[in-house]
Amino acid sequence: MRERRVAAVTIRKVRKVFGKVEVIHGVDLTFQDGEFVVLVGPSGCGKSTLLRMIAGLESVTDGEIDIGGVVVNDLAPRDRDIAMVFQDYALYPHKSVYDNMGFGLKMRGASPSEIADRVKEAADVLQIGHLLDRRPGQLSGGQRQRVAMGRAIVRRPRVFLFDEPLSNLDAQLRAEVRIEIKKLHQRFGTTIVYVTHDQVEAMTLADRIAVLRGGVLEQFATPDDIYNKPASKFVAGFMGSPPMSFARLTASADGKTLAMPSGTVLPARGGLVMGGLSGGKSYDAGFRPEHVKLGADALPGAVNTTARVEILEPLGAETLALLTVGGAVLTGRFPPQAGVKSGDEVTISLGAADMHLFDTETGRALVA
Amino acid sequence: MTAKLSSLERSERRLGIALLAPAFALLAGVVLYPIFTLIRTSFSENKLTEPWLAKPWIGFENYAKAMGDERLWEATWHTLLYVIVTVPGAVALGLGLALLANQPFRVKWPVRLGLLLPWALPLVFAGLIFRWFFEYQQGLVNNALIWIGLSPVNWLTQEGPAFFAICVAIIWKTSSFAALVLLAGLQTIPKSLYEAAEVDGASKWQQFWEITLPMLKPAIIVALIFRTITAIQTFDIPKAMTDGGPGNATETLAMYIHKTTIDSLDFGYGSTLAVLMFIASAILTSIYLRHTRRDPSAGRH
Repeated sequence: MRERRVAAVTIRKVRKVFGKVEVIHGVDLTFQDGEFVVLVGPSGCGKSTLLRMIAGLESVTDGEIDIGGVVVNDLAPRDRDIAMVFQDYALYPHKSVYDNMGFGLKMRGASPSEIADRVKEAADVLQIGHLLDRRPGQLSGGQRQRVAMGRAIVRRPRVFLFDEPLSNLDAQLRAEVRIEIKKLHQRFGTTIVYVTHDQVEAMTLADRIAVLRGGVLEQFATPDDIYNKPASKFVAGFMGSPPMSFARLTASADGKTLAMPSGTVLPARGGLVMGGLSGGKSYDAGFRPEHVKLGADALPGAVNTTARVEILEPLGAETLALLTVGGAVLTGRFPPQAGVKSGDEVTISLGAADMHLFDTETGRALVA
Repeated sequence: MTAKLSSLERSERRLGIALLAPAFALLAGVVLYPIFTLIRTSFSENKLTEPWLAKPWIGFENYAKAMGDERLWEATWHTLLYVIVTVPGAVALGLGLALLANQPFRVKWPVRLGLLLPWALPLVFAGLIFRWFFEYQQGLVNNALIWIGLSPVNWLTQEGPAFFAICVAIIWKTSSFAALVLLAGLQTIPKSLYEAAEVDGASKWQQFWEITLPMLKPAIIVALIFRTITAIQTFDIPKAMTDGGPGNATETLAMYIHKTTIDSLDFGYGSTLAVLMFIASAILTSIYLRHTRRDPSAGRH
């Protein structure tokens, strides 16, 4: 019977400086036992550096990294009980698939029979048993990816680290392997830290998502909360496909309503009024595409207004519409056969009740 | 059977031939013609010291003479010894230098310069420098021996020590070329392989054996081939250090050919020796090349 080997990972006030450039500015994160955490953000946000610091491939400038209750700052990668799947897979080109997968065990002095058992087991799980004699050069991209995962699984580490593992695969394969990875997590229950710049991967895989930007943690929450309660305009705009669209609104003198440049007035949510909108101040309002609908009163608590259809993107099940609404550009989800054309003036429902408001200077969300 | 070419393809082909022609003409003039002349001369009696003999065609007589020429076989044996000792020696030392140069130094140019300098130095210079190193009375080596309490050695006038001294000079001089080839090979190994090995638990030594060496195999073979080809032609360094002495104890094939042709002015027999050396090095090189073609990991990443 397989024992379940997991460990929590804690990152305390970690900073990273390369030369004179500080790339991570004091990040605090705690990953639970067996949690699937995705680090996401645009390129250069420090997500890969953070992962490599957990792996021990980069030194920690300041702060602590703790795996399973042990501070690992000064431990070599091999002593951290982790396994890593690299972006380019980093398979040993001159070794067979079998030897690639068994390498970690061999280096740790496992017996040949134990290596054989564990490699066979992992190969069965990943359905690559027929490839064991081949070399990486003879495999397709998807097969190499599986071998790279197999090499990690064989070791039975306490933490799996994935560094953009799907970025070299085509779109269809990416969707397949994504499901594969989720299955693996359900089967082994090992803590996974997964780096990606793809918000779809983050949303679909994660138990919790850490959104990073410029070496600073923007938000660490469940996919549901990231989507529905984004902590900042950046998170709101980064997570979700198509992304949230924004309009600059001005609060009324009493702070109970917000006006678009065209004059359309939207009621502020009750909580926001209590939180105190300053009269006359500007705010960035964010609307998810599903809260911009075709027709009057299509959403509860919506405000009806007119919009000009600029561009239509039919996706089959729905059509995305790029609209100009009272001086702002918003994206709406329209039904597939809406019978509208580019250039049409249409009536839309703007989901005022689902509107997100952000401070124009700090970008932080106003909490309702 | 060739497919009919369109006029565009025909004019492309004409252009290609026109572009290649100058290079072909040059090669024919400086490589093919001299080789042809060399082979023709090898079948004739052609001594500048006896011009009244004209240059009669004597068939395989020179070749027959070569088979029984003890000095030729000795020179061949010496050359073989140089190949056996200095080729792996230079590649091994070159590998060490390449590994050193591949370290992430903050300032790279002193290391690169140190690598390139022996390579840029003319062979005769290297020979003269080492001749002085191994000199009996003022040489650096004997001084060092005396300094640590040993007695000086008559390096260049005894068979074994002379061979040793020449090998040291050749290895020093040629290792930098091997190092350059191997350094280029080292730089093609993806860094992520070492990171993966690091995570997999391999020590630095294991990383060298399991990743660096096998990944470097194609470059090592290239370095061995190039080094072997030049080692077969070893001439300058022993010429400068011992001139083949004591006696003929350190004489190589190339030196014997040089002595026959230039010193004794026997062009016919000298050409025969050169043709034999050419055939031997062609055979050796083709064995190497066949090996690289058979190796499945060569040339693939």
